[in-house]
Amino acid sequence: MNVFPRAGRATVLAIAAAFFLVTAACQPPEGSDVPEDVAEGEDGTADEGSGDGACEIAGIDSIQIGGLGALSGAHADYGAQMEMGAEMAADEINEQGGMLGCEVEIRFMDSELDPEVAIGNARNLVGEWGAEFLVGVDSSGVALALAPVMDELDRVLVVTHAATEKLNEEEIYANDHRNVFRMSVPVYQDAVVAALIVAEMPEITRIANIGADYEYGRTAWAMFQETLSQYRDDVEFVAEAWAPFLTSDFSPHVSSVMAEEPDMVFSTPWAGEAVALIRQAQQSGAFQELEMWWQAMGASVDVLEAVTPDVQADAFEGKLWATGRYIFNWPETDTNREWVEAFQERYDRLPNYSAQTTYTAVNALHDAVEAAGSVDPADVGAELEGMIIDAPAGEFTLRAEDHQAVYPVPAGRVVYDDDWGIACVCADLQVFDTEEYYRDPPFEE
Amino acid sequence: MSVENLLYQGLIGLTNGMYLWLVAAGLTIAFGVLKILNFAHGSLYMVGAYLGFSMYGEFGLGFWSSLALATLTVGLLGLVLERTLFRPLYKLDITYGLILTFGLALIFSDLVRILWGGVFLIPPTPAALVGSFEILGRAFSYYNAFVIAAGLLVGAGLWFLLDHTWWGRTVRATASDREMSGVLGINAGWIYASVFALAAAVASLAGALSIPVRVVTPGLGTTIIIQAFIITVIGGLGSLRGAFLGALIVGLANAYGVLLFPNIELFLIYGIMALVLLVKPEGLLGERQ
Repeated sequence: MNVFPRAGRATVLAIAAAFFLVTAACQPPEGSDVPEDVAEGEDGTADEGSGDGACEIAGIDSIQIGGLGALSGAHADYGAQMEMGAEMAADEINEQGGMLGCEVEIRFMDSELDPEVAIGNARNLVGEWGAEFLVGVDSSGVALALAPVMDELDRVLVVTHAATEKLNEEEIYANDHRNVFRMSVPVYQDAVVAALIVAEMPEITRIANIGADYEYGRTAWAMFQETLSQYRDDVEFVAEAWAPFLTSDFSPHVSSVMAEEPDMVFSTPWAGEAVALIRQAQQSGAFQELEMWWQAMGASVDVLEAVTPDVQADAFEGKLWATGRYIFNWPETDTNREWVEAFQERYDRLPNYSAQTTYTAVNALHDAVEAAGSVDPADVGAELEGMIIDAPAGEFTLRAEDHQAVYPVPAGRVVYDDDWGIACVCADLQVFDTEEYYRDPPFEE
Repeated sequence: MSVENLLYQGLIGLTNGMYLWLVAAGLTIAFGVLKILNFAHGSLYMVGAYLGFSMYGEFGLGFWSSLALATLTVGLLGLVLERTLFRPLYKLDITYGLILTFGLALIFSDLVRILWGGVFLIPPTPAALVGSFEILGRAFSYYNAFVIAAGLLVGAGLWFLLDHTWWGRTVRATASDREMSGVLGINAGWIYASVFALAAAVASLAGALSIPVRVVTPGLGTTIIIQAFIITVIGGLGSLRGAFLGALIVGLANAYGVLLFPNIELFLIYGIMALVLLVKPEGLLGERQ
């Protein structure tokens, strides 16, 4: 039955045009979708602090910090949390008199997880808005693309989420893009920590991967296999399935790796995609057949909030393991506790790691600017190198050679916790010394 | 790779194909009758998902009532859209419709961001559909089975409606010759409006069906409309059977792509589309004008 008039060649061409327009709509032009300027937000950031002309730097009234985060789609909470962390730090700094007496302003733009868009936004934030520093960046691909651009823009970028080890090992250390720093744990956390844990679980011998099909997921899986193979010669890597950004249906991936009857799934999609993936895996009975599901960045708060009802119903049978680049329940220090409480009071949510790392980045920039007495990238960079940082995540060093923050984060099983009122990485916590799992300069095999 | 595993992967592809079918069906029907190539059709899927989420996940209505209400609400929204925005376009070139609906898609995307926020949402699985049963030696979720059944039922319903009812006959008459049907006393305006309301409702149903399995996000509409366009190109625009066949092909190609050709999985459906355009540009079940 062909109920309707027939489609001719012109129609097919129209569809082709339509198709390309829609594809283009997926990637709005550079600089689009600028979120609300935090400095002009309802919290009145711009009116607080020392915006009274006391700024010690000639020619400027305030110090602008530009942010690049994922602010749309299934990963949007990461950018939102970065913005929350940056905003909180800026307000605290402004209340204390600003940076060298200058008021701090924050403005975030959506990186859309796309290197071209992010580079455009970085240029926009520096060139049009006048950002002195940049923070943020979720995607590894974006971080690698931005590293050389930061030389050209002559600005310091503090990466607060993107995890590929190629950023610190290659772009910063080997290729000398010295304007880039990273305040968050690299993929050593996702891959090496997983391998160290599985090394002690002899019941796991068959391992499958459901990978994020881009730099982060590829490098995490490669590093996991390489590390685990050093500890165990009885494990087999039995299946791989790869999911690009914007995947909403992971059931073919789950089904194809479960066909190989693995004991463990190593999984790297993150944020909303991680939630859809483990929900679909759980619905298809995968957790009954597995010993362990490693959701590398499953400890992010957006994921924990979303899986809480399933965890309360024991849908994952206690087999869901996760880690993050910081978890709110560790370390058990006063600094961390007080920060988490202040964050909850301000935003009525728990902080994700991207909030903590961006909060810490803005504070580190403050300390470096104050110590350098200028906003010159070379001076500020020199202060940041080797800086000892006291953050909610703990006290750690921003390693001078590769500009990498070196601090441990636990991994563990995801369980419901009455005190926190949410599913969290709260059981079987395993913390490794950073010497055990961070790779060190000069990064030779 | 055992035969059971291959067949099982087919069931997974069939499930995805059902979501795609429901979206592509509305797209093809709306084009067939209204000659509107509706960019915003994916947005109606997205709005259905958000409404379904709010009704079921936030306001605590039952899952079934939420499905029905979301479908009806977006059906009404379709009616309003057709009567107010699309109506003036019928005498104009097809590109005006493209531009209008493209703009609508962007507006809907920002509207849901304003109303529901940018963070993804996912409600619990409805209690009646939690769990799985064994088929081909493996566990298959009740929810997926339900989606397959729902897709097939809606398909049967659409065919019945268009082929065996007075309304369906008038729709087909209007689609093939609007002026002549007007002479025969058919109120083409309301036929158009009801067709678009139906198309919108079916897309919304697909969106609402997806919420316990896929996360709801503002970009949802764009992702699904791309696949729906591919499906209509493969199946033949204006052909309901073509949309069904195209949805199955794309659903299965996705599933088997992941299993058998993991490195070219993304390319696979574009490859199929290109091949169809080369060999049969009007689509597999489309007819040459």
